Amino acid sequence: MSAIFFILFGGLAIGCAVSMIVQRNPLYSAISLIGVLISLACIYVTLAAPFIAAVQVIVYAGAIMVLVVFVIMLLNVEEEERRSLRLRYLVPAAIFLAAVLVAEVTFIISTVDDSRIQQTHPSVSSNPSDVGLTASIGTHLFTQYLLPFEITSLLLLMAIVGAMTLARRASFTSPNVRVVPGAAVLPRHLIDPDAVADATPVEANTTAEAERLLGLEGAPHAREEN
Amino acid sequence: MDWNFILGIILQFVAITVAFTVVLMIVAYTVLAERRVLAFIQGRLGPNRVGYGGVLQPFADLLKFILKEEIVPDKSTKFVYFLAPIVAITTALMPLIVYPFGPTLTLPFLGEISLVVARFDVGLLYVLGVTSVGVYGIALAGWSSNNKYSLMGGLRSAAQLISYELSLGLALIGVILISGTLDLSSIVEQQSGWYGMRWNIFFQPIGFIIYLISAIAETNRVPFDLPEAETELVAGFHTEYSALKFALFFMAEYVNMFTVSMLAATLFLGGWNGPFISVLPWLGPIYFLGKVIFFLFLYIWIRGTLPRFRFDQLMNFGWKFLLPVAILNIILTATLALLGWI
Amino acid sequence: MVPQLSWYLALSAVLFTIGVVGVIVKRNVIAMFMCIELMLNAVNLTFVAFSSYFREVSGQLFVFIVMTVAAAEAAVGLGIIIAIFRNRESLDVDEANILKL
Repeated sequence: MSAIFFILFGGLAIGCAVSMIVQRNPLYSAISLIGVLISLACIYVTLAAPFIAAVQVIVYAGAIMVLVVFVIMLLNVEEEERRSLRLRYLVPAAIFLAAVLVAEVTFIISTVDDSRIQQTHPSVSSNPSDVGLTASIGTHLFTQYLLPFEITSLLLLMAIVGAMTLARRASFTSPNVRVVPGAAVLPRHLIDPDAVADATPVEANTTAEAERLLGLEGAPHAREEN
Repeated sequence: MDWNFILGIILQFVAITVAFTVVLMIVAYTVLAERRVLAFIQGRLGPNRVGYGGVLQPFADLLKFILKEEIVPDKSTKFVYFLAPIVAITTALMPLIVYPFGPTLTLPFLGEISLVVARFDVGLLYVLGVTSVGVYGIALAGWSSNNKYSLMGGLRSAAQLISYELSLGLALIGVILISGTLDLSSIVEQQSGWYGMRWNIFFQPIGFIIYLISAIAETNRVPFDLPEAETELVAGFHTEYSALKFALFFMAEYVNMFTVSMLAATLFLGGWNGPFISVLPWLGPIYFLGKVIFFLFLYIWIRGTLPRFRFDQLMNFGWKFLLPVAILNIILTATLALLGWI
Repeated sequence: MVPQLSWYLALSAVLFTIGVVGVIVKRNVIAMFMCIELMLNAVNLTFVAFSSYFREVSGQLFVFIVMTVAAAEAAVGLGIIIAIFRNRESLDVDEANILKL
């Protein structure tokens, strides 16, 4: 029974992965990757790791891939065009190496028998694995592995700040000056491209004052945000 | 192959079929109830011609949806266009299997049957995970229709869903802290006794309010239904869908409403608990469905009463008010649980 | 017959290889990013398989941390991709071969 689940979900994962690299439209690649993630979550359930399976669906398939799909839709990414191969001698080499991989996998699955040196399958009913239950993971996460947990939260904070900084519209090279009162001192040649590069700073308390100082009173303003 | 195993699988399929049939019937009549109750709130009568008082209206609607002409936009990406309603309805129906409809009944001939289809360790996380994947139905529908109203509506709706998913999950953490388990059946069993004073709504009032508001936003209902309101964006992400695919989206929205109402009834109002439950356990499903119908009525009542939020007001409210309040609720609950008061 | 541990490791190796092929072959930078995520998932599968077969919890905890790191990397990486797109108007990595915009 476990073998049927493994073959089913493993085949689904490999099929979706191959589809992901074959598709030219990036949205179809994203949908194939979501298929891979959900089949891997099903494999985790058969391996008696239900918490990791649920977290995989919530975090990977439900949040990270939503972000990727949003970016694909917002940037209106087009399909890749076909281009002719320039290194044609690599194609037989690739086929040979793929055959080697298939041979290795077949050898592993058919010949290797490690049932005498390892414990039983995690979902077998006589000795089921209980390390995957939420209580077990929660206990270890907050006692033995507390330091990686806290460092991970710091990493997430860094990622939030980094993502917000990157996605903000930087208007340093546009004629519109957005000056945060009392915070920024900008060299003039970054804002006015005709100005000679000099290091005398321009300080202003409001945007109107900065525009008056720079002689840009008539410049169109960026969209006002409330 | 042992026959017990195969019999178990067949019984599971029967249980799933029964659960889905019951839920789909209730959802069909929720549509009718919404139209009638909304009509009474607005001072008119609503559909009352088909059958006595309009009871056969859902079947008339279903017939209309099946017989309508399917119009598929020419420049749409066909695969994604057909995939989106399937994703929407599948992820709307999948959480139904973890809800406990009643306590374990002991029937005279069949022995004990449990009224929950699948009981496993991470039931609540499963519901949250499936709801997260449900965002794709809307985003892909908006994109694949090749229509700027659909795209705007789809992206806005998806952004709203992922924003309010956070407060939804955080509001439920308070309940998990009190119960100590993610299994929905255990949470309901821990709320029994003491004449209903152990329902989680008394221990988590702030969490309940946050959950209710997030649930209304999650199902794209008024006052959070700007992405699909008729006067704003034609019809949002399902503008270009007709006939049966539109029926799937429509049903998916009502099944979602039903799912979050069931979650509210299970986690906060004690599920199948009620008076005389220990002597007459078959009253369990009746109490449970009564509480769920109360929440559905609350949804319809709110729809008839409140105006809708603008999209930036909606996002402001979700991120700047609801999320900090949910986090404060977790801190408060954790402190009280550590002190032993809860 | 019951799946052995080596079966899961073989599946993980195949998925990892497909991810590497994708990173090399694809020219769209978002598709390359998704192939990197596939490689991370293949490694996650190895961790979970070992953790379940040897009844050790540390494998699954590491998967938890790998997922968190992948989420952080996705956020910052897609921010960088958006910034590149704003400046170059193209997501083709073969065309982004000089430092000047």
